[in-house]
Amino acid sequence: MSTSPTFNSIARILENDFHVEAKLVAPQTALADLGLDSLALMEFVFAVEDAFHLRIPEDRLDPREAGITLQRLCEVIDAESAATVGAVHAPEAAHA
Amino acid sequence: MSSGVEHAVIAASAQRIAAPPVRVSGIGFVTPIGRTLEAFDDALFHGRSAVRSNTLAIPGMDSVEIPVAACDFDSNGVRSTSRLPLDRGTAMALAAAQDAAAQAGLTRDSVDPERLGIFWGSGLAGAGSFDNTTQALYAEQRRMRPTTVLTVMPNAAVAELALHFGAHGAAIAYACACASSAVAIGEAMRAIRGGWIDVAIVGGHDAMLTPGVMASWQAMRVMAAPPAGAPETACRPFSGDRAGFALGEGAAALVLESEAHARSRGVADAGEGTSYVLAGYATNCDGTHITNPDSAGQVRAMRAALRDAGIDATQIGHVNAHGTATIAGDAAEAASVREVFGSAMPVCATKAIHGHVLGGGGAIELVATLRALAHEAVPPIANLREPDAAFDLAFVRGEARAMPGMRWAMSNSFAFGGINAVLVAGRIDAPSR
Repeated sequence: MSTSPTFNSIARILENDFHVEAKLVAPQTALADLGLDSLALMEFVFAVEDAFHLRIPEDRLDPREAGITLQRLCEVIDAESAATVGAVHAPEAAHA
Repeated sequence: MSSGVEHAVIAASAQRIAAPPVRVSGIGFVTPIGRTLEAFDDALFHGRSAVRSNTLAIPGMDSVEIPVAACDFDSNGVRSTSRLPLDRGTAMALAAAQDAAAQAGLTRDSVDPERLGIFWGSGLAGAGSFDNTTQALYAEQRRMRPTTVLTVMPNAAVAELALHFGAHGAAIAYACACASSAVAIGEAMRAIRGGWIDVAIVGGHDAMLTPGVMASWQAMRVMAAPPAGAPETACRPFSGDRAGFALGEGAAALVLESEAHARSRGVADAGEGTSYVLAGYATNCDGTHITNPDSAGQVRAMRAALRDAGIDATQIGHVNAHGTATIAGDAAEAASVREVFGSAMPVCATKAIHGHVLGGGGAIELVATLRALAHEAVPPIANLREPDAAFDLAFVRGEARAMPGMRWAMSNSFAFGGINAVLVAGRIDAPSR
């Protein structure tokens, strides 16, 4: 079972800020099964984006598509984090 | 048939005939002087102020010290039914109301949801959240959150309260500046008396100790400068050297219920044969100035509240004054209370210790009034050494004044916009009303 730093961070947001029961917060849990409505899910995605200092493109994660699992959300975050780091370094690379 | 004549007759009778009191079956609060009755009473009857000095430093503005009374309160610990992030004041409202409902033994099974209403007041409601949000938007170039509107709207707390308690009867937010919660409480009493609902969760809040909102109050020049080394003495109601108020935050909630409903669900009295009631309410408007209060309007409101309670001015044991410690505010109120009650009336003013909680002030001060009735003692006005020589009233100062047998008390709330709201609370020792 994955307990990556990314997962632990979003689990903390769900439990502390959205008062989702800890037993519901598992990698295979779908967003739809967290007990949050569509508005709260949007707010959750915003909170995740702020926590990781990134934006998740809607084509990668539309919060209305609540069938996505927390594991999938972690993968998207990790991929976007890597891309963001790459983007920051890209200009330097161009000048090199 | 002339409905105008009928209305005139009904209105005239409403002015003359006192309606029955409603039971106060629970109270709860989040205040700068504590969340428990023990802490609240200790500060109240010892005149212990929670006011502290706070440095307001905003780029482009001169740094300034302002007096603030903040609550030791973690809003993140409050769970909302909506699961959405909560404005700090909304979280306080939920916490206070949950405590009040618990004390009243009020559960979803014990009241018909269609007979349950939420009547709640706030002066600036989500102003603190909006201030934080615009700081994020303009200064930090961050996005607006999807739920900004829902946390900022004036009925944000009312909505969360209605969700939490499953209230189907009514959910109304009152925005009457510093009289907001007093108006909400009084209007709920009217709704219960009128038979529209049986039970109401009432009260109010304000929590906006954020830089932009504090700067707005500072710009009005209505707050006192915190004295060096003794910031807790900043707010000095009715004192000759009064200089304005301290900004507070907090919430207070009460469960109001018809006597018949209280009995039907087996609510006993508050212990030892004593129960507490709200017996009178009046609201009106000076209609003279947006900030400068008019004694005549206050006199009319106090007399109307006494008529509504069906009691005489001589039966009131003490007045919990609005007492903001502004030059004009205290002068108008000292004159109006003197006119209604004469110079012997014991007067207290608790904003000196918990700050001016604005829309929540009326509810917090009603709680203080009920505690005074419970202890049969009037709390002292903290920081009052020398009353203004022009005021002729029995200000309670130094220590609490024992009032054995005190049964009735009045709480005043006088707001910007000239809105006056007056509540009369009572202690009933014989449980067989």
